[in-house]
Amino acid sequence: MTRWRYFGRRLVLSIPILIFGTTATFWILRMGPIDPAAAIIGPDGDQQAYQRIRDQLGLDEPLWQQYIDFMTGLFTGNLGQSWVLNPGTDAGVMIAQYAPRTIWLGFWSVLIALFIGIPLGFYAGLNSNSWSDYVASFGGIVWRAMPNFWLAVILVSLLSQSQQLFGFNWQGWLVQTDIVTPPSLSNLQNPTNLLAAIKATLPAAVVLGSSSMGNEMRIGRTAVLETINSNYVEAAKAKGVPGRTLVWKHVFRNALVPLVPIITGEAFLLIGGSVLVETVFAINGLGYLFFQATINGDLPLVGSLMFIFILLVVGLNIVQDLLYTLIDPRVGYEGGGA
Amino acid sequence: MAVTREDRTLGERVRANPRPALFWLAGVVVLFALEFGAFMNAIMSTLPWAAVGGALPGTSIWAGLAGVGDTLASLPTLLSRDLVPNQGYYVPGEGWEQTFLGLEPAVAWGLRVTLIYVYAFVFFGWLANGYFVFRRHYRYAAWTPYDDMLDHLRDHRWGQFGFVIVFGFVVMAVFAPALGPTTVAQNIADPYSHEIQYYDQEAQEVSTALVGDANRAATSKGSADRNVGPLSYDSYDRYHPFGTLPSGKDLFTFMMAGARVSLFIGLLYISLASGVAILLALLTAYYKGLLDLVVVVTGDSVQALPQLLVLILLSFVLSDTWLADIYNGGLLLALIFAVTGWPYLWRAVRGPALQISEEEWIDAAKSFGQTPWTTMQKHMLPYVVGYLLIYASLSLGGAIIGVAGLSFLGLGVNPPTPEWGRAVSAGQPYVATASWHISLLPGIMVVLIVTAFNALGDGIRDAIDPQSEGGSGSEVATAGGSGA
Repeated sequence: MTRWRYFGRRLVLSIPILIFGTTATFWILRMGPIDPAAAIIGPDGDQQAYQRIRDQLGLDEPLWQQYIDFMTGLFTGNLGQSWVLNPGTDAGVMIAQYAPRTIWLGFWSVLIALFIGIPLGFYAGLNSNSWSDYVASFGGIVWRAMPNFWLAVILVSLLSQSQQLFGFNWQGWLVQTDIVTPPSLSNLQNPTNLLAAIKATLPAAVVLGSSSMGNEMRIGRTAVLETINSNYVEAAKAKGVPGRTLVWKHVFRNALVPLVPIITGEAFLLIGGSVLVETVFAINGLGYLFFQATINGDLPLVGSLMFIFILLVVGLNIVQDLLYTLIDPRVGYEGGGA
Repeated sequence: MAVTREDRTLGERVRANPRPALFWLAGVVVLFALEFGAFMNAIMSTLPWAAVGGALPGTSIWAGLAGVGDTLASLPTLLSRDLVPNQGYYVPGEGWEQTFLGLEPAVAWGLRVTLIYVYAFVFFGWLANGYFVFRRHYRYAAWTPYDDMLDHLRDHRWGQFGFVIVFGFVVMAVFAPALGPTTVAQNIADPYSHEIQYYDQEAQEVSTALVGDANRAATSKGSADRNVGPLSYDSYDRYHPFGTLPSGKDLFTFMMAGARVSLFIGLLYISLASGVAILLALLTAYYKGLLDLVVVVTGDSVQALPQLLVLILLSFVLSDTWLADIYNGGLLLALIFAVTGWPYLWRAVRGPALQISEEEWIDAAKSFGQTPWTTMQKHMLPYVVGYLLIYASLSLGGAIIGVAGLSFLGLGVNPPTPEWGRAVSAGQPYVATASWHISLLPGIMVVLIVTAFNALGDGIRDAIDPQSEGGSGSEVATAGGSGA
């Protein structure tokens, strides 16, 4: 199997996955023990309004008709509308409203994790079994085990009391920002606004990226250790390749391969983790929207959000396979490997 | 380890040389007898025996048996709070009353905790010793691969660290009722139906108070005068090793009971998911082809649904059903975890299972006419189980974080039942104040236990497969703090 046939096969396989995932969502929402209309109307709604909602959601139609409507609606981009959180608004509009903050948060958490985790891991690998390696490795292990929500709670408290605790005022540092507040993403061309937006996101991004950072560090370390002991690095050394070139050209590039699934895997963590982190930091992004929609019984909105998340995950999987196909020439040669 | 010589069974080998086996068995009996009452109590309290007995014919016999069971359950045990009580009051001039030997409550409680842990480690040590007795005196084979694995573990300090902490956590869950300075029923679930005795400073006499009232005087709300910190007494002379919650309830008792809930959910989830994972891995590796493809697509589809979001959604959707009432919602959570989590475990064992299925001895077994089921069980399973153990250890840590994260959001385990995430949530406003302990201590416990599960997983991996040294792919599934 060639590399591109492998990639094509993965691409085809993602279609049933998309359908399966969406069907599961439909199954949970419509066939679960909760009546969506009753959840929307709450405990003290009147019968008339209840019936109206049932009609509009098509709940009295046969189940297979509902299923087809649900699926075609989602796959043709008709995401339905919100019923409780923001009645009458298109789910698509709401998602467009909430998504930028999550994307901004996700972008910085990936970036921070990458730029701290990987260099630290490579450093530890290049100086293996030294004290700095032990400190970095152990720190990474513990850092990774910290629950996001807990880390967020601690960080919020420490930063809000930074003046009393450390004599350093985080809120007033560089630009005035609050801690438990969504970053303002308007007018980012203005350097002050940009700086404020970055600074306001930074604590949440560090928390969200924490477990990935630990993973990247650890894998980076083992990857460097593995490549450093491999024959081609030995050969390059024997040939007299200078140290710096050796590290950059032969060690670094090859050590990146096992890091690909970690970096894309991080994106999955962001989708789940964003619920907890956005709740603690009061950032009204997609995770926060999902949580609010769920506990308020806005089930149609939940369905649309879930569909978006499934799309994201499947898309990321494809990106990951594409990266593999581009970076690692061995892909597809081991046969099978679905 | 079913190593039997054709001519002599294990029983015959033991009969030929009974001394070491009897000695070991006597040790087990003595250790077990110390806790027999607690064991019977656990049996009598987990099932509604009266209802079970009523359904069976011959009611009087069963009623008699139940009576015997209850009597046995009330036998004194070594590690109970009745034998080493720590609740008492200080009478000026006379010292501590009602505590064990008149010791300070902190010392009495510390003694009980130490006793429990010594007992648990001795018991475990003795059971482990049983394996070595078997190996030295009764095993037919002079060497098996398991010996090498144990030798690898012997020098693996990191894995041993993990094991000790994990074992400590399991002990915490098993002995939860005896470890806390007070009980869940008295202090947390139903404080207004229980009374404690205390020494009234003004009236200068011993009087009684409702636990609920005492709790209200022992709240931790941030300011110096409204705080009962770790390792301190409240105004009713009750000792709080971890301080109190904002509601005045004892945090340590809360944590111990929470450990039990977390471990129950984690273990049930892991056993269900592992069962599915191993069965599918063996089947797909043996038959390959279309079956493999179907399972791959199903697994990928389940993984395409973000786990934490499905957990949130399902625990909301199913919150009003009868399922959510069993074990305070713990069973439901474990089931949801299992349904959404099995693909992770299955992916972990699929590779090794496929590798094994290519080996020559599998071919040989097939051509020999062995049934597929026997081939899978005898020739594939033993190689795959080790890999499953690694990932089970890692996923358990993840499940503990996940359960805590859900209860932090107010979902999952139903509210009066202690769960660690709820303590973090309760202490959220007080982190940077005098009452820092409420959020910080549960969080540190989670970090420690998750790290320990990861370390244990590393240890098992190095024991099974010393060459891997953390091979690249295997670390992806390590439990992270993402809450998912």
